[in-house]
Amino acid sequence: MGKTSRTLVTMPASAKKGDIIEIRIIVQHDMESGFRHTETGQRVPRDIIRDFLCTYNDIEVFRVELHPGMGANPMIIFTTVATESGTLEFKWTGDDGYASSTTSQLLVT
Amino acid sequence: MSDQNAEMTFIAKVFVCCGICALVVVGALAKADPVGNERQSSYELMSADTKAMQDDPLLNPANFAVLDGRALWQEATGTNKIACAACHGEAKVSMKGVAASFPKLSTSRTGGRSLLNLGGRINQCRTEHQGAAPLALESKPLLSLSAFVSTQSKGMPITVERHASNAAHLEAGERLFNLRLGQLNLSCAQCHAERPGQKLAGNLIPQAHPTAYPIYRLEWQSVGSLERRLRNCLTGVRAEPFAFGSKELLELELFLAWRARGMPLESPGVRP
Repeated sequence: MGKTSRTLVTMPASAKKGDIIEIRIIVQHDMESGFRHTETGQRVPRDIIRDFLCTYNDIEVFRVELHPGMGANPMIIFTTVATESGTLEFKWTGDDGYASSTTSQLLVT
Repeated sequence: MSDQNAEMTFIAKVFVCCGICALVVVGALAKADPVGNERQSSYELMSADTKAMQDDPLLNPANFAVLDGRALWQEATGTNKIACAACHGEAKVSMKGVAASFPKLSTSRTGGRSLLNLGGRINQCRTEHQGAAPLALESKPLLSLSAFVSTQSKGMPITVERHASNAAHLEAGERLFNLRLGQLNLSCAQCHAERPGQKLAGNLIPQAHPTAYPIYRLEWQSVGSLERRLRNCLTGVRAEPFAFGSKELLELELFLAWRARGMPLESPGVRP
């Protein structure tokens, strides 16, 4: 088992077909940049989330590459079009075997 | 460690560049410490975005600490293999209003009475009842438990009052608040009691009421305690900061909580 952490997703539970829905996701992560040093001069190794992927009924709808300049607990807000009822899956992967995922259901009427 | 060093350097620079000038310029406008309804949480000074981040549990990054704290609350630990929940039950009920009463004097098992903040009280419970090692001050698990316990008092007024038993500590805290410290020779009161609402560098000076701790500070990129914040100000005036858990910081915390008595708790807060 690699490292994982808490995630929070905010999105509507239902939408009309064709509606644009807003999805807000936040993930718990220190996003250690790899550029900092300890008091004794040791470099703190980089430990960040590298990739975020959202799939909607197994089709990729949104992807983000994350870099060392990003702050802790990155929050991403994006939109997608409600096409059909189903599952949205959110996946984060990163350094040191980090992986988190969660799913949300969307009912399209 | 290194992030705290960076903070110190940054804050020291800010103070050096602007602190002296600002205080000299506005020196003539000094006024008395705001009391009663004139008091204001530094929440009111934040941007709409940062306010929204604190208000929405799904946006508030400190909420991760609360969730971690809830997990720790239910986890059996120590040689006695008991969880916080085993004695205290549902935190929503048993911890309601508890955080609003700290710092306070607590009697240890050996009969000694000492001034403790919430983190210190959690550690007392760990060593005396759970048979566990105390959590390191300012460590993630201690901050998480503190955040979880504090948020049970969200919206409730701070209930620290002056008693015969805490009067000496309170007075020591008040003396420290008014004591000029560091190479810049500034007291807490000179900024936070006499000049709140005026500017220090680009920032509005808050009244320094500890209503939202532990806070997620965007500058820190993490959750931190009131002690960490006080140490920031101490390095800002180029004083040697008091150690975490020191008598001085606890007495200052007690005075600040008393000064903010009656103001509602917002924990876990977000600050810029």
